[in-house]
Amino acid sequence: MSASAAYVPVPATHPIRRSVCSLRAATKSYQLGTHVVHAVKSVDLDVMPGEMVALTGPSGSGKSTLLNLCGLIDTLDAGEYRFENQDVTALSERERALLRRASIGFVFQSFNLVPVMSVADNVDYPLMLAGLNASERRRETTAILARVGLESFATRRPDELSGGQRQRVAIARALVKRPRLVIADEPTANLDSHTAEQMLVLLRELAHAQSSACLIATHDQRLVARCDRVLEIRDGVLQ
Amino acid sequence: MSWIVFALRNTLRNRRRSLVTVLIAALGTAGILLSSGFALFSYQGLAQSSARDTGHLTLADARYFEREEDTPLEYGIEDYTGVRERLLSDTDVRYVLPRVHFSGLLSNGDKSVIALGIGIDPQAEFKVRGPFLTVQAGEPLDGLDGASSPEVMLGDGLARSLDIAPGDAVTLLATTAEGALNALDVRVKGTFSTGIPDIDRRLVYTDVATAQELLAAGRVSTVGVYLRDFELTDAARERIAALLGEHYAVKTWYEQAVFYRAVRSLYNRIFGALGAIIVVIVLFVTANAMAMAIVERTRELGTLRALGTLPAQLVRMLAIEGAALGGAGALLGAGIALGVSLVLLFAGIEMPPAPGRSTGYPLQIAISPALYGIAILMITALSMLCSTVIAARTSRKPIVEALAYV
Repeated sequence: MSASAAYVPVPATHPIRRSVCSLRAATKSYQLGTHVVHAVKSVDLDVMPGEMVALTGPSGSGKSTLLNLCGLIDTLDAGEYRFENQDVTALSERERALLRRASIGFVFQSFNLVPVMSVADNVDYPLMLAGLNASERRRETTAILARVGLESFATRRPDELSGGQRQRVAIARALVKRPRLVIADEPTANLDSHTAEQMLVLLRELAHAQSSACLIATHDQRLVARCDRVLEIRDGVLQ
Repeated sequence: MSWIVFALRNTLRNRRRSLVTVLIAALGTAGILLSSGFALFSYQGLAQSSARDTGHLTLADARYFEREEDTPLEYGIEDYTGVRERLLSDTDVRYVLPRVHFSGLLSNGDKSVIALGIGIDPQAEFKVRGPFLTVQAGEPLDGLDGASSPEVMLGDGLARSLDIAPGDAVTLLATTAEGALNALDVRVKGTFSTGIPDIDRRLVYTDVATAQELLAAGRVSTVGVYLRDFELTDAARERIAALLGEHYAVKTWYEQAVFYRAVRSLYNRIFGALGAIIVVIVLFVTANAMAMAIVERTRELGTLRALGTLPAQLVRMLAIEGAALGGAGALLGAGIALGVSLVLLFAGIEMPPAPGRSTGYPLQIAISPALYGIAILMITALSMLCSTVIAARTSRKPIVEALAYV
């Protein structure tokens, strides 16, 4: 199975290529009981290749919803979403899954590693989904684990690792397939300040090395300070 | 790592729950195999016994099976010798045994009792059917010339009823083929038990010549045809029916085995219902285990989907998990059933007599590879199916909801 069946990225050299992720008048509401929550209101957003963008705002402001929309795990009520200049607003569930598989990496606040898999297997999983052969997968997995300093932990299970080590595994899993966009939702929230600092450096290095764009929802001012651009969202509206 | 390895590792997440699921599937499979093995053993035993009693095929005048005879041997076979030769020309036919059926009275001079008689070729009958009667007193019929008077063997209930013993003389009274009454003095050679008291109170065996003399006719009622192999029955029936023509009718042992069919019908219902209950229990337990496993992993499944896993891939993985649990249980259950069956084979445990019978029978369980294969496949496939149904529902949950699941 290949992502290319549903989605053909525009080559990097193509003149029309600009932003990785481009939202126009993006709107999303939720039904909460009898109450309708307008989580994202007519947002315009562009994230360029290799750019690290921090998304800040108070709890409930719409950060996570905006990340979910950009990460194609949620759909717009209104507006348009172009991913690498291709309109993905109305893709089917299957097409969105294939696009996520090929081009989007995720780093979750709680790491979300699979506990029955070893560190290497967790990192290998996106490559397995992509259909790479065993030797390619092994090579890529070993390389990224070396980059995050966990080569010697390859056979360990996540529950044998510290919080910082787990988040490094999660970063390796997000970046191993060289995604065009990395979505990180509060990636340092469960880490101490020293470890959080290391994570930021690592994420920035790896993302820049691969020209991957990063969209990071965070409250962490140290992380905000290291990003190329900071966006603030309040009540679903980008300030 | 492959999907199968991933699925198998998932089954070991909650080892206690998986163990309970596997054990229940194992006990269920063992229960199904033991009960169906017992039924199968009963069917095989009864089938062999029925075929041994009547012959794999029974040949008679075409009217014999359709109408009641007004007089004995009215629809008897006239040319038994010719029929026998033609039957033996078929390479699958091993033995041909004549039978003369009659009814009448058996008297000791003071008391007369209704009796059902069968004239047989004793030597051939014992040779073909083996020790089909349990001799209670005296000796079995030998059919050899030299006896001072015709001989009979009586059911022990009949002998008790007339208070007679081997060596005593009794009188057989019956209607002849011409409709007249005839009486014949015979000597009791022995008494037997068929294991069915109702039959033992009525049945008389004698040789064909004595029966024909009593009925004053040279015909035989039916001819039992014994084949080289039980499985040849249907094919041989077609051939023999064609060989002998429309004047004769050929019935298989199965068509005449009323008791066998009744037992099979009863057991099928009893063990079928039992099996269905066991399967439902196993499925509920497996479904429950899978449902709990899936609910506990809602967030993880959401993560896998966010990474690009298709719902169908998740369903397939969870189906493999269900199949692994069900399959492991089924294999363990098959092992348990096999062990119990082998123990019973050598333990020699006797079951009490069935209703209407006077003798017990060995408690044994048939070991049928086909049955084992079907049971293992069925439990595995159904476990997989119920996991698939549960997984299909869960895999459609929106990713955002799944990721937020606590």
